[in-house]
Amino acid sequence: MSRPDSRLCPAASCFPESGSSPRPTNRRAFSMTAEALYAAGPDHIPAEFVSASHLIYSSPATLAFNSPGAEGFGVKRAGLAVPGSVMLLVSPGCCGRNTALIGAMEAYRDRFFYLLMDETDIVTGRHLEKIPDAVCEVCRFLDTRPSVVMICITCVDALLGTDMERVCRKAEERAGLPVRPCYMYALTREGRRPPMVHVRQSIYSLLEPARKHADAVNLLGQFSPYADSTELYSLLRSIGIHRIREIARCRTYEEYQEMAQANVNLVLNPEVRFAAADFEKRLRIPSIELRRMYQPDKIRNQYAALGSILGASFSQDAYEEAARTSIARFRSLCPDAAFAVGEWMNGDAFELSLALVREGFSVKEIFGTVTSESFFYLKHLARLSPQTEIFSNLEPSMLYYDGRDSGVTITIGRDAAFHHPDCPAVPWNDEIQPFGYDGVRRLFDALCAALSGGKTTRRDQP
Amino acid sequence: MKGLRLVLPPFAPDQSGASSVLYEMGGLLVICDAGGCAGNICGFDEPRWFTQPSAIFSAGLRDMDAILGRDDRLVEKLAQAAEKLDVAFAAVIGTPVPAVIGTDYRALRRMIEKKTGLPTLAIETTGVGLYDQGEEAAYLALFQTFARETAPVDTGTVGVIGVTPMEFGAHHPQTRIADALRAESSVCCYGMGAGIDAVRQASRAKRNLVVAPAGLKAAQYLQRTFGTPYEVTDPSAPALLPQTDFSARRVLIVHQQVTANTLRQELIRRGITDVTVASFFMMKTELSGPCDVHLAEEEDFIRLVNDGHFDCIIGDQVLQRLVPAFDGIWIDTPHFAISGRLL
Repeated sequence: MSRPDSRLCPAASCFPESGSSPRPTNRRAFSMTAEALYAAGPDHIPAEFVSASHLIYSSPATLAFNSPGAEGFGVKRAGLAVPGSVMLLVSPGCCGRNTALIGAMEAYRDRFFYLLMDETDIVTGRHLEKIPDAVCEVCRFLDTRPSVVMICITCVDALLGTDMERVCRKAEERAGLPVRPCYMYALTREGRRPPMVHVRQSIYSLLEPARKHADAVNLLGQFSPYADSTELYSLLRSIGIHRIREIARCRTYEEYQEMAQANVNLVLNPEVRFAAADFEKRLRIPSIELRRMYQPDKIRNQYAALGSILGASFSQDAYEEAARTSIARFRSLCPDAAFAVGEWMNGDAFELSLALVREGFSVKEIFGTVTSESFFYLKHLARLSPQTEIFSNLEPSMLYYDGRDSGVTITIGRDAAFHHPDCPAVPWNDEIQPFGYDGVRRLFDALCAALSGGKTTRRDQP
Repeated sequence: MKGLRLVLPPFAPDQSGASSVLYEMGGLLVICDAGGCAGNICGFDEPRWFTQPSAIFSAGLRDMDAILGRDDRLVEKLAQAAEKLDVAFAAVIGTPVPAVIGTDYRALRRMIEKKTGLPTLAIETTGVGLYDQGEEAAYLALFQTFARETAPVDTGTVGVIGVTPMEFGAHHPQTRIADALRAESSVCCYGMGAGIDAVRQASRAKRNLVVAPAGLKAAQYLQRTFGTPYEVTDPSAPALLPQTDFSARRVLIVHQQVTANTLRQELIRRGITDVTVASFFMMKTELSGPCDVHLAEEEDFIRLVNDGHFDCIIGDQVLQRLVPAFDGIWIDTPHFAISGRLL
């Protein structure tokens, strides 16, 4: 820590130098053991774990999922998943401010535009009259005509009860190209159709009915592709499914339209269920839901179930073997690994923790959002690792989190890495998505790499 | 079209300005939103968030809270948090949601004070205003609430009002200002370095320095209340100019008004007299020159540059995208509230 500047006001800062914690305090972050939380039961989840019952701490550990626009794929970026699309964000300035981060990325240059509301707009809704003209002006500004203009609206229009479908139809007539709504309603985040569910419906709503191909399947779920090495592709090809489409791999609007040719959709993220239901209703494409898991035996069971639905059998042994080899390699390098597992990563914090515990590793801490679904995994964790401490990232007392005595030696997840800055860390939040045995293999390979990454653990320090 | 942005992303909003003033004050700051506004502050507009913790929270409002106006739930949540945290006061910072539903901030403030016993500020920002409006409201509320005692004047102390990362960056701007004020022995940069205790003892300052227009009202309040004189200037501004002479006849400066005015004085001192100041932010009449310009839309800036025949522009380089044909000298002066680039 640098010495204080004697010229600066001595009655100064209420916090010490940058990078340190708030004033010394005996306060601590709220947590519960897996055993105690499971005993409380899904009907009596403590208020500290229920985000609607307390103020929300947007720590650097949580920004990506608590405020999805801040990092990663929020509604704004997701709304631009359709090739050639642009977005007009109609909102007060504050809602579009951090879009500068995304707009600076090459793939999104000249794709975000803004119609800023003033105080009269937010009271009277007169901004809606301007949207068709604004869409036309955006189209005139661009060298290339967009495939679709997504109109993104925010909490203000949620409260005004704006019928954006109608406004979009009017804009479509005026501009002569598809215009679709995109709802960034943070107010409805815990509702039945939160923004990230709705945006998935919006981006697939442009598909036109097409002739089906028996060898075509869509992977629905993410806005970035699954890893090329994922065995799911090979397994599907092995049974004659050769046209495997994902929105993130569509380079043109025409390629995107080919998604309507699928014979079946594989739903790889629960947030796409509503969109899958739309597919079924509008395009007569049924769906099968698969989960991302890190327990090899469960992955085997899931593929077996998929095979039986598709009337085929998958040869999984080589893929499972590769995953188990990676696990064994990590175990030989770090047999006493003590994990902290966060939720800002490509997986379910509780499922991944259970997978680690079942492989014989210690999980000291989980940073996660507890829902009734979590209890399926908590049931096993309470039995196999009862003393695992569970924290809610969003709870205000996390301001005082101090992991120095936690015994954690390695972390998975960006949030867990934030809480344990001195431990080897695998963020595991890459945009390229992991799945199946390949996900397990790559995760443990990454853990091996993190061990040799040169970071020291607190345990190694004098 | 009014409000249409084809090139520039929106500037820092008023709630970000308010929170940047209160950030280091040791209070419990509640952004009265559903999550996105607090996310914007913590994830983008507050560069200190990643290195220097502060008790900023989102109210986590949900649709039924807004529709039914459930202020009591917010008060309850805030009181629960206050019990778990070491905080000196509470502050509620407005966003578009309370603006739409017409939240009664005065009542909310009283309810919080009654429930928690903490002094409470209510900053009525709306998310449609700009950062300096939020800063101005926060400075004023802060001094009106906490600077109440009259202490003996310390002739070696100067108070500085208006320093936030929005204009001055996050890398110890208070040190740059102290460097520029060589003669002063003690510099109190309220909100960056100097916390709530310094605000309480604001009457000790021999004089106040207003380095941004957002600090003017607070300085005037302190003058009225304690007789503390103030001066409007940004002593760190001249360092933004190249040290070597540059040849220019007609210069446009686009920044916040006080920094821009100080730069103009420096240019005049160097012999360049044809200088226009323009700003997308507040332009106080008493600080404006006869030809100074307030900008509201992208078009305003484009027109000003196209018609102004400037051979030098001093401003954030992100503005250059609006006038790609400009072929004069561009001196880049990062303005975080515009581009999100730190000085």
